[in-house]
Amino acid sequence: MQRMAYTFSFPEEVLEHVFSFIWNERDRNAISLVCKSWYEIERWCRRKVFVGNCYAVSPLMVVKRFPEVRSIALKGKPHFADFNLVPDGWGGYVCPWIAAMARAFPCLEEIRLKRMVITDESLELIAKSFKNFKVLVLTSCEGFTTDGLAAIAANCRNLRELDLQESEVEEDLSGHWLSHFPDSYTSLVSLNISCLNNEVSLSALERLLGRCPNLRTLRLNRAVPLDRLPNLLLQCPQLVELGTGVYSTEMRPEVFSNLEAAFSGCKQLKSLSGFWDVLPSYLPAVYPICSRLTSLNLSYAIIQSSDLIKLISQCPNLLRLWVLDYIEDAGLYALAASCKDLRELRVFPSDPFGLEPNVALTEQGLVSVSEGCPKLQSVLYFCRQMSNAALHTIARNRTNLTRFRLCIIEPRTPDYLTHEPLDSGFGAIVEQCKDLQRLSLSGLLTDRVFEYIGTCGKKLEMLSVAFAGDSDLGLHHVLSGCDNLRKLEIRDCPFGDKALLANAEKLETMRSLWMSSCSVSYGACKLLGQKMPRLNVEVIDERGPPDSRPDDCPVEKLYIYRTIAGPRLDMPGFVWTMEDDSSLRLE
Amino acid sequence: MAKEGLGLEITELRLGLPDAEHQVSVVNKKNEKKRAFSEIDDGVGDENSSSGGGDRKMETNKSQVVGWPPVCSYRKKNSMNEGASKMYVKVSMDGAPFLRKIDLGLHKGYSDLALALDKLFGCYGMVEALKNADNSEHVPIYEDKDGDWMLVGDVPWEMFMESCKRLRIMKKSDAKGFGLQPKGSLKGFIESAAK
Repeated sequence: MQRMAYTFSFPEEVLEHVFSFIWNERDRNAISLVCKSWYEIERWCRRKVFVGNCYAVSPLMVVKRFPEVRSIALKGKPHFADFNLVPDGWGGYVCPWIAAMARAFPCLEEIRLKRMVITDESLELIAKSFKNFKVLVLTSCEGFTTDGLAAIAANCRNLRELDLQESEVEEDLSGHWLSHFPDSYTSLVSLNISCLNNEVSLSALERLLGRCPNLRTLRLNRAVPLDRLPNLLLQCPQLVELGTGVYSTEMRPEVFSNLEAAFSGCKQLKSLSGFWDVLPSYLPAVYPICSRLTSLNLSYAIIQSSDLIKLISQCPNLLRLWVLDYIEDAGLYALAASCKDLRELRVFPSDPFGLEPNVALTEQGLVSVSEGCPKLQSVLYFCRQMSNAALHTIARNRTNLTRFRLCIIEPRTPDYLTHEPLDSGFGAIVEQCKDLQRLSLSGLLTDRVFEYIGTCGKKLEMLSVAFAGDSDLGLHHVLSGCDNLRKLEIRDCPFGDKALLANAEKLETMRSLWMSSCSVSYGACKLLGQKMPRLNVEVIDERGPPDSRPDDCPVEKLYIYRTIAGPRLDMPGFVWTMEDDSSLRLE
Repeated sequence: MAKEGLGLEITELRLGLPDAEHQVSVVNKKNEKKRAFSEIDDGVGDENSSSGGGDRKMETNKSQVVGWPPVCSYRKKNSMNEGASKMYVKVSMDGAPFLRKIDLGLHKGYSDLALALDKLFGCYGMVEALKNADNSEHVPIYEDKDGDWMLVGDVPWEMFMESCKRLRIMKKSDAKGFGLQPKGSLKGFIESAAK
């Protein structure tokens, strides 16, 4: 009897059913660690896989462990590739993954890629290999052309989602890849071509929209002219999310009235973006639907503050606003007064390389939003001046912040009121915002801010640091104190060997660490690679082999990530991996 | 009084420069490839200039740090496209703490321009400047392709659009020092704007 009690377990079918209700990736990962039988059951019923770094695990390992995958999301290059800090040709190639999945996952339905390099050949392989393929999302990807898109259009009969977000596409000038969607194709739910530069075939687009009754998201590219937008919208009045093309044309009364009627006809529209080259006279065309809007992305729209105020004041239900700094403090004040449900605000610079401020945007704009928007959780804010007092106020007002990314445009800018470092201001943010998961620092900062972060940033997962700190102690505070840190990116800081080597084991618990223009020596990198065989320690040096310089010479760029796949096989000539050498292992 | 305060702040900011330079110097020792910052162009001298020939100061661009500020490549490309297709000029107003940018291409003529300037700088007395020309304290001038400062409104709009590099709304008292006097055409410009 006692023995029977010990061996009691639910049948596999029951466990599999229970597991099917658990969709969170981390929970699934935890389940698979319970015991061998749970591991086996979990791996056979895992449908979605997320790989945060395509070099952390090999395609064959994923394929072998999870045989029934339907959806996969992959990330490639480091985040700093967005800012040209990662050399071209570094890697992030998706081809081996597509090849492995084509053989192993004939039922694969969804592929989401970010910062990866994908070729037309891979797109063609996707189009031919997965008979029920539904979702292709390419965010900040490169390497493909409209020929690859044509293959997807022609062959994926069940495609629901084609999303090209901020990707670089080499385009056929004719724009006719849309014509490759068969006339019998009707399943499109989401189409995002906003990153394309050239004109697409508007007649093909209009026909496509007209025969897809479930289309909910449409993000056009800039080249779609405003006077053609009403006709497009007439084909899909059921839209929920719309990105316009260019938002200006010769001023003609019928264009305005057609536009206003088309917008009014979209009864379910909740999200707007696009608005390139805005002519303010046409903005009132969207006023009739403003009260329904929950998301507004005007971050490519040059709209002066007064016009933005008129627009935003009519959008009381906004949850998300992305905008250029033309909004100015006055616009943010209006936002704070109108949009009480706002959760996310992003303010981008219109003139990031200008010598002088070109707009009246200051810390006070952000302070007013922190006062007026009680549900604010996520902030990305570019500005030219900031003060500790303002940061203290923001921290006190919005303890529910989970993401706070502040970029003061000039490096090492101090508190403009006191000329002191901004340590105590950022310290207040990490101290009072207890759920903070993502933080980006800027301005004049000493090691003291890192002491705050190490002490209080217990839920911090991603930290971005630039032009900050005094010594290795700053980095030590972060690595030894932030228990949940997954991604750390550092540039132009005087952080060196001691902190890195003293916290080597911490690096194995993180997804990745990027350091450029810091004080890490080549010798320390070698030592780290030898000491930690499950880390790939990549020295990136376009000047030539780091071996040709003394060991105490600082490396230019360093990218460290944990991996169970070992050194990658597609390294370019300027990347050196500090490989494990067991004969030199320290223990 | 407020102006004096601003001046003090500017002065104090400049006092911070040696520290910044020192830091840059320190960093340079550790990162030999890193590019140094150039001198900050405070632009204050511009306002004090009284040369009759107008402002010939060359605006030097500081060398940019790779990857800073962290604006992603995609956004930079799209913004540059916008810049290339537009006729943006900078606008400054004496006494106002910020520059503005304005797209001349979006305006049909001087009256449109005046209304836009009113929107941008209304809180700094532009309304008064427009409505009461004789008593106005400000005069709009522009720098042309040759670097000469001219009165806005003296030439046909198309010519103005083609040659205008920069706009400035100047105190009338300083305009005399520039050798610029309001004329009949400027009066017409202001009157049409006030309608």
